Amino acid sequence: MNEFFNKIAKNTYYKKLIKNPFTYVTGAVLLSVFQIAIFASSGNPWGVTGAFANWGAWIYELFGGSVDKWYYFSDAASQATLESGVLNNGASLQDFGIIIGAFLAVLLASQFKIKKIKSWRQVIAAVLGGLLMGYGARLAGGCNIGALFSGISSLSLSGWVFAAALFIGAFIGSKLLAKYFM
Amino acid sequence: MSEITRSSSPARKPRKKKKNQIPFGLLVLIGIVVVGILLGQKSGSLAMFWVFGCCFGYILQRSRFCFTASLRDPWISGSTAITKAVLIAFAITTIGFTAIKYGTFINSGYIPGQGYIQPVSLLTVIGGLMFGIGMVIAGGCASGTLMRVGEGFTMQMLSLVFFIAGSLWGAHDMGWWTLNFAATAPRIFLPDVFGWIGALVIQLAIIGLLYIAADKFEKKKLGITDEE
Amino acid sequence: MAEYTLDCLGEACPVPLMKTEKKMAELEIGDVLVVSIDHSCAMKNIPDWARKVGHNVEVEEVDDGEWEIVIEKLK
Repeated sequence: MNEFFNKIAKNTYYKKLIKNPFTYVTGAVLLSVFQIAIFASSGNPWGVTGAFANWGAWIYELFGGSVDKWYYFSDAASQATLESGVLNNGASLQDFGIIIGAFLAVLLASQFKIKKIKSWRQVIAAVLGGLLMGYGARLAGGCNIGALFSGISSLSLSGWVFAAALFIGAFIGSKLLAKYFM
Repeated sequence: MSEITRSSSPARKPRKKKKNQIPFGLLVLIGIVVVGILLGQKSGSLAMFWVFGCCFGYILQRSRFCFTASLRDPWISGSTAITKAVLIAFAITTIGFTAIKYGTFINSGYIPGQGYIQPVSLLTVIGGLMFGIGMVIAGGCASGTLMRVGEGFTMQMLSLVFFIAGSLWGAHDMGWWTLNFAATAPRIFLPDVFGWIGALVIQLAIIGLLYIAADKFEKKKLGITDEE
Repeated sequence: MAEYTLDCLGEACPVPLMKTEKKMAELEIGDVLVVSIDHSCAMKNIPDWARKVGHNVEVEEVDDGEWEIVIEKLK
């Protein structure tokens, strides 16, 4: 059995298709095809961070909090999503899918490794970066996927404005990274 | 390309025998299918979202696609390889999306997916700046963080926890922000301004110009001369 | 013709690339730099950058999810 898998690992087509990374352009074309497919089939483009706010709300409720009075969750659709729970929420399942899909890809390439946090510097970077992204995504109404990729695909001016702000933010982030996190 | 001669090879540590992880990969693949079938019994749309998510994760990892890098690398190394790939994606989806939107509009009078036309306001700019800084520091945006969690990065697992906390915090303050800064913010759908054809042509032209600019920028930064 | 090593294990993007860039600037022409990484994006963006700048590059998978990028400075 093991022999068999080792033989696969040496196969040219395995290396070409499963192991060696695709080019960025191949990635771009494949993502675009799936982005168009999801829009055609569900009527909405790809989004990622919308579900994060719901996850936050569910965890908050587990600890006895309530978000019913919050403006952000006040509309009927948000309430219905919160009611029905995580396993009935397509956006959440899609986000879990991204994790599992990436996990599948590394395993099939035989490249999985748990990468431990190396320093306090990384802890601070992860905490600060996570908070900034979470808060920022709510203000702008999405992330690099929902507000940028899907926004621009949808011919929305907001996508371009968001792109410009992101680009400047990335510049500031790069300077901070070079100064404090390297 | 010639072989690189390595001078001090004896100092190198002996290789461990690599483990073959393909069987585990196949188990995960079976797991994905089983979960998909179970979800499908509840609702077809849930199964579809699940499968789409897995495909996105797989593609992102396989191509090392990173929206963060597309906006960050020009500032750091001057490389615009991913930036150009992202622009290509924008061009393809612009055409696909416009076709679907226009087709549905002329057939049934409504335009799908307009919820993703976000209001343009100061919040778009502040949110973009915060997100831009955060993604560079944390080493990945939302999709990138999820993908790296799947790859086994503990740093991104931590960052995901605080991403969720930040989302909740942002959602909590959203009422105040909207009231003060975005109460009258317009949602601008480009075809409303330039017409369908106009919007499509203008957007594709902008993407094309950005592509040329990114290419020239990279050549200049990295000192690549055109071979002609 | 000296050989240098750079340990970027456990570092997240873009830190390995930034460190490599810095280190390469210090090297003499003909020197070789071996960068150890375990970040799957760096195994693509470092070679991409180095090849574009005009160096000689080889990537070796030394363990599951661990690579060594060997860069020979050519200019």
